[in-house]
Amino acid sequence: MTDELRFYSNSPHAKGNNSTRKIMLNVCLALLPACVTGCVFFGWKALLVIVLSAASAVASEIVFLLIMKKPFSKIMKEFDFSSLVTGLLLAMCLSAQVKWYVPVLSAIFAVIVVKMLFGGTGKNLVNPAITGRVFAFLSFGAIMYGENAYAQPFTGEILTGATSLTGLLQEGAMPNNLDLLLGNVAGCIGETCKIALIAGGLYLVIRGILDWRWPVIYIAVTGLVSVALNSFDFNYFLPSILGGGLMLGAIFMATDYTTTPDTTWGNVLYFVLLGAVTAVLRYFAKIEIVSFAILLMNLLVPLIDKCIVNRPFGYVRAKKAKEAK
Amino acid sequence: MKTDFKKIAMDGVITSNPTFKLVLGTCPTLALTTLAMNGIGMGAAVTFVLICSNVFISLLRNVIPDKVRIPAFVLIIATFVTIVRLVLDKFLPSIYESLGLYLPLIVVNCIILARAESFASKNGPLASAADGLFMGIGFTLALTLMGAFREILGAGSVFGVKLWDFKIEFFASSAGAFFTFGLFIAVFGFISYTLHTKHKIKAYRLKTAETAQTQTAEEV
Repeated sequence: MTDELRFYSNSPHAKGNNSTRKIMLNVCLALLPACVTGCVFFGWKALLVIVLSAASAVASEIVFLLIMKKPFSKIMKEFDFSSLVTGLLLAMCLSAQVKWYVPVLSAIFAVIVVKMLFGGTGKNLVNPAITGRVFAFLSFGAIMYGENAYAQPFTGEILTGATSLTGLLQEGAMPNNLDLLLGNVAGCIGETCKIALIAGGLYLVIRGILDWRWPVIYIAVTGLVSVALNSFDFNYFLPSILGGGLMLGAIFMATDYTTTPDTTWGNVLYFVLLGAVTAVLRYFAKIEIVSFAILLMNLLVPLIDKCIVNRPFGYVRAKKAKEAK
Repeated sequence: MKTDFKKIAMDGVITSNPTFKLVLGTCPTLALTTLAMNGIGMGAAVTFVLICSNVFISLLRNVIPDKVRIPAFVLIIATFVTIVRLVLDKFLPSIYESLGLYLPLIVVNCIILARAESFASKNGPLASAADGLFMGIGFTLALTLMGAFREILGAGSVFGVKLWDFKIEFFASSAGAFFTFGLFIAVFGFISYTLHTKHKIKAYRLKTAETAQTQTAEEV
């Protein structure tokens, strides 16, 4: 938490004025373009989903803390906006056509079960927003992904067939890359307009919150494995990295501080595996699977952290030390 | 030796509830609790097998050689499971259908084997029968509660009676089974812990009151 400072590293210590609250507010700012474009593309329904999801996420955190007998003034003082980020991210990966209770229940599930029960911000085992989406997918799959689940942007014309990505996965019909980049395709609220997502990602990179290497590795590996799976047809590269929720997942969800490994090489392994898992699952499951891939890999993070440890400066491996003698 | 039936009953239903405290027989617990009715059917079948096998194992406990006791236990249990299967198939085919594979799997159900090993092979037939009955009741209650919870949320009905159209399919899926199981274990642990501490506090107060009384009596 913000006022409880603990140092685990050796001196010298640099004193920064970064805090969880500031980082989370910056992430909210970075999500703003995607929210705005989502509302522009999908109309007031998208705005309703975003507001409901964010409000219920924040409210459920406060109610949980009140039940745990924390005084209200202290809750307000320590409120770090991470539940707001969870709510916004959850809304980003829901369709604008969902019923009102889908974002509400998913946000409550995400915040209470995944975050608060494990001990609050920074203690969660998996990404809360991703788990909320998977919960919505498993619970309301028919409502979310059945017919009439997605609307075309601007015209509001309800799409009865598959979305751009499922079209690509099932029939091999190539969507227009420019449309995918600008977001002129059917899909979830925040995932269609890749420009807005990239802009948000760049903002985070400039503010030093996000390391640009990890999303790039994830997206590139997913694209390359997709190409390899489609017998090295490089026409698949751009649609597979621009389609679906990959960009959103890579920039905002997979890179969550809590659910990534601690070390550089651990991170490399994590994101490469994540990309491979995403591409392979997409190819065989024929549905958009980024959320499941991230959830799966989040659960492997403790194992990666255990296997790949930073080598302290000047440390020589035991075997080599023996040889030197 | 006098048998403490009250303790056996408390053990079976609450203090060492087979599902929530001993975490035995998880396979049918996770797979069958989609409907509350399944819980009752499975619970009744297990209770019957548990009582009969406990009594028989208790009667034969001095005859069965120690080295081959597990095969002997399994043989006795399998006999009763076969009886249950045949009876259910003949008279209650709908329950037989819905329990499916999990009915023959009662043979290797941990609860029955664990009770045979840890209780029936050490106690008399009457105490063993009581233990089987209350363990069975505990198991049935656990399964029915979980089944009702999952049925209400996952299918919008309870005991097959439709309540509303709203349903959260997560609770009907296997992920929901694990989630519900964990939730119930936590709630059950909390309740039994609270009861336990209250009991302890009460006992402590009684004890201190008694010592105080004896002290005053001595002083007088």
